[in-house]
Amino acid sequence: MSTTRRNTSQRLTLVILVLASITAITLDYRGQASSGITSVRNAARDVLSPVQRVLSDVLRPIGDFFSGAVNYGSAVSQNQQLRSQLGALRREALQNQTAEHQLQQILNAEHLPYVQNLPTLLAGVIAGSTSNFQDTFEIDRGKGSGVGVGMPVVAGAGLVGIVLSAGPSTSVVQTITDPGVVIGVRLDAPRALPVEAEGRGTGYPLELSGVTANMSPYKGELVYTSGVMGDSLPAGLPVGTVSSVHYSGGLLTKTVQVAPVASLQGVGYVTVLQWFPTP
Amino acid sequence: MTPRAWSRVALLIVVTVIVQVGVINGLVLEGAHPDLFLLVAIVAGLTAGPQRGAMIGFVVGLVADLFVLTPFGLSSLVFVLVAFGVGATASLPGGRAPNSFRITIAVAGSIAGTLLFTGIGALIGQPHLPRAQLFSVLAVVAIANAVLVIPAGSLMSWAVNIGPASRDLAAVRGGSAVR
Repeated sequence: MSTTRRNTSQRLTLVILVLASITAITLDYRGQASSGITSVRNAARDVLSPVQRVLSDVLRPIGDFFSGAVNYGSAVSQNQQLRSQLGALRREALQNQTAEHQLQQILNAEHLPYVQNLPTLLAGVIAGSTSNFQDTFEIDRGKGSGVGVGMPVVAGAGLVGIVLSAGPSTSVVQTITDPGVVIGVRLDAPRALPVEAEGRGTGYPLELSGVTANMSPYKGELVYTSGVMGDSLPAGLPVGTVSSVHYSGGLLTKTVQVAPVASLQGVGYVTVLQWFPTP
Repeated sequence: MTPRAWSRVALLIVVTVIVQVGVINGLVLEGAHPDLFLLVAIVAGLTAGPQRGAMIGFVVGLVADLFVLTPFGLSSLVFVLVAFGVGATASLPGGRAPNSFRITIAVAGSIAGTLLFTGIGALIGQPHLPRAQLFSVLAVVAIANAVLVIPAGSLMSWAVNIGPASRDLAAVRGGSAVR
């Protein structure tokens, strides 16, 4: 084959493959093939999920062994701190029972969903994100177990993500730190107006937008889901604590960063709140 | 490529999926993990030449897109361009030591692939990563691929039925390396 013909053949192959890829992107974006592509993706994940579970079960103890051997001292110290914190939280919970009852009455009167009344589903984390450009993780519960797209997922102290895709037996959860996530939140102050929290990437704090000059966020202030503005999440889910407040524009605007209260570090199980947003 | 070579390539892709999704996804360093799919596209270009490397890269990209939630076709577009570019570079005349050349190409291909993904993703409205996280991704992917390119290249050579490394460059120079 002459060099010219070979080069022409190579370029033609390149053009055909590039056009095929662009066609696939266009079909996915425009929606004509989106549902079919989603079904194929869910099926592929479900086919691989038994392998993921086995590998996770095999590798986790090995990782825990090495981690425990290296971090034994700090683990003991952390255990003691956690016991002390748990005792304090139990006391606080008992003291807050009356306030909780009053809050539930108010939320019922305003027809806002209350997280404590929602059915929940425990799910195991079986895989992290395959892409370096999305902050997601995979759980071992899907539509067959009652998981639906848009359901909030909590771990530990608060909200950790939202179900992005639900297959028959597995689901993908988008974490609140993913750059594509925007959630409606409220500061802990009385009569605080709802604002939006935006993810900025793995390991980065969330950033609040819509914080007006008359709001006075302070470092350590709790931030909850607002459950209003046609939001897709129920009210009252802890999201994070204010980690920094920067003033700009002559003190007219504030840049507020929020450190998430929930972390997936070393978490094996999460809880899916079986709640759908009001249409 | 012969059907037998394609079946070996398919087997290699299946093993890549299992290792990436089952093991590699959990090896996170500074918010990033290695990308074996990109590595397979790079070694496909290195061993099978620009034309067949691009075809393998296209298939690998479609498979990779099944396990992410970025737009379907984005990975295949990036991998086609990377594999073709790597294959075209590998087929340029000039004496070079195979291993150091492969490592250099792996690093360059990893950086190019990651930046292409970011750039094309931005063009179609995908959220962008913070700059510091992008640097982490570039570093982790490039270093991992530099370490793994030689064994991965041997596996791809077996899959596409290419001879020993000493004949690789001569074989791929024409882009029709595979029997």
